[in-house]
Amino acid sequence: MNELILALPSKGRLEEQARQVFSEAGMRINRPGGARSYQGEVEGRPDVMVRFLSAGEIARELIRGNLHLGVTGADLVHEAAENGADMVDFAVPLGFGRADVVIAVPRAWIDVERMNDLSDVAADFSARRNRWLRVATKYVNLTRRHFFRHGIAEYRIVESLGATEAAPASGAADFIVDITSTGATLMANGLKILDDGVILQSQAGLVVSRRAEFSPAARRLADSIVSALQGSISGS
Amino acid sequence: MTNRKTAPGKGGRAMKNGRARENGRARKVYDFREENIFEKRRERLLALLAANGREGSGTGQRAELINPPTLVLASDYFDLAGEEFGRRLVISDGSDGLKYCLRPDFTLPIARHYMKTSPLAPAAYGYLGPVFRQRSQGPCEFEQAGLELIAQQDADQALYRVFDFARDGLALYGISSPGIRLGSIALFEALLQRLDMPDVWRPRLRRRFGSSKAMEALLLRLSPGAGDAESSGNSDEERLLKGLDRERLLDWISRKMLGDGLSLIEGRLPEEIASRYLEKQALSAARVPGDTVGLLRRYLSISDRPEPALDLVRQLLEKAGIDLKDQVEILRSHARQLSLRFPGAPLKLELGFSPRLHYYTGLVFELTGQNAKTLASGGQYDRLLRSLGAGRDISASGCALWVNRLEKEATGPEGGQGNE
Repeated sequence: MNELILALPSKGRLEEQARQVFSEAGMRINRPGGARSYQGEVEGRPDVMVRFLSAGEIARELIRGNLHLGVTGADLVHEAAENGADMVDFAVPLGFGRADVVIAVPRAWIDVERMNDLSDVAADFSARRNRWLRVATKYVNLTRRHFFRHGIAEYRIVESLGATEAAPASGAADFIVDITSTGATLMANGLKILDDGVILQSQAGLVVSRRAEFSPAARRLADSIVSALQGSISGS
Repeated sequence: MTNRKTAPGKGGRAMKNGRARENGRARKVYDFREENIFEKRRERLLALLAANGREGSGTGQRAELINPPTLVLASDYFDLAGEEFGRRLVISDGSDGLKYCLRPDFTLPIARHYMKTSPLAPAAYGYLGPVFRQRSQGPCEFEQAGLELIAQQDADQALYRVFDFARDGLALYGISSPGIRLGSIALFEALLQRLDMPDVWRPRLRRRFGSSKAMEALLLRLSPGAGDAESSGNSDEERLLKGLDRERLLDWISRKMLGDGLSLIEGRLPEEIASRYLEKQALSAARVPGDTVGLLRRYLSISDRPEPALDLVRQLLEKAGIDLKDQVEILRSHARQLSLRFPGAPLKLELGFSPRLHYYTGLVFELTGQNAKTLASGGQYDRLLRSLGAGRDISASGCALWVNRLEKEATGPEGGQGNE
């Protein structure tokens, strides 16, 4: 009987890096069926069931309480539900998958360098036109929270599921909120990041669900995994 | 006695005594006797709405009871009120690819109904039914009752009729002395037009009216000595741009936009960008005077009984040499009319109080109960119908009662006093 369910990203660099940090912390993860199998185990911890899911699903299922532990990105936790970040503990930052969620506007907007500029532009635009300034993003919750914090109400979100950086040129939106690690894609699309335009510095982490039910044994297991990772990360 | 969290809607109610639990939290818990009392009150509320306008001398046309659609296009609300309001909607994806929401209020669906059926003609509507909003704990269902008066001949009389309805509605639940908050959009807008400042700041200040946090952030920026942080952009480019006159600047921006694949006719125009760029340079020389910022701060912080509050306003205006007597007198008489209907109730005129929604115009008010919970809110919204395509402002005023909170108020803080 498995006491605890741990989820890891199912493919790509994220899977490799997640399995590596677990190995370095003395917890080798086996995936017996290879990439086509979606279950695995932790060597030396038979009570832990490992499931391989997409990072976005991991965030969603941690929030719903269907997983105990998982490796996923902070940005995905924020985006899976408006109060998603309150439903989990971001227990151990793992140092990979780093990227920033940023606000970027067309380079041609030479009058806009900071959030204050954007707030003036949004107010002017809605007062002059019969529509709001539009921002394309898949980070709806983060965008709303950040704009609220900066007192900006005169905008509308256009949900974007891919190639957000092309939205200003395609006419779908006026500016964007997107995730970037180097900023190169944004530059190539004629966009610039606002000086104070970083909404979230995201990275992968071991995330603990607050909603999942933990038996006493599961809690002990979770604590031991958290402290093994913490010890390994801070020692490296 | 039970602790009523949410009162039942009209249909499909489970009659159950005791504690009903769902998803681990207490929900709709009913008591037969309470149910009957509230059913009777609800009937009287409907009767009040149905009778509205019939009696009295020339108080206008009788209110038509209507039940607009519960399911409406979510974009209607987003277009009108923006993301802050939009995030409180209970949204559903349609099989037709559009997003729908359960109505969060009656005002917009009724205004749409009005535009479809009798645009520009005087109309009076009454309603009672459920509305739906997201709360931090998840989606919630509430009941609202209200009155909307549109394009009435005498806008003041229409507003007073709305006051009457609020008074009579609260009286049904035994409330005669609620807390009262009063705000004026008309006076703020008039003041803003007269204050000494570069014109560009007027719409920006107007848009922040109603959010004390956003307004304070802007006033801080405008305060003498504050200023925006110096730009950190590409300094070569900046030096180049600073040397350009307006025409060359426009040319530079247009070429940049075209080069980056941006349309020159949609979104922000090259002229808008150039104007604001030049304005930024000019504003670092000609800023909003410190006296103006100080006056705005003092004005927005005024919160007192109407007479002393208006005295303060008069002093502020006199010192600044601004004459807004007419506007002040209108506000004074509106406040008097409202206080006449709630004798002895604590009435506060708060000059910074307003919903942060552009379609509210003259007066706004809120009646509150225990724990400052809003029991009723209303006001004048002459710009709403223009936003919906009427082509001009149309006088409108209305008020919504939060029926569940009134019921809770009627049963007292512990719930069910005297029912045992």
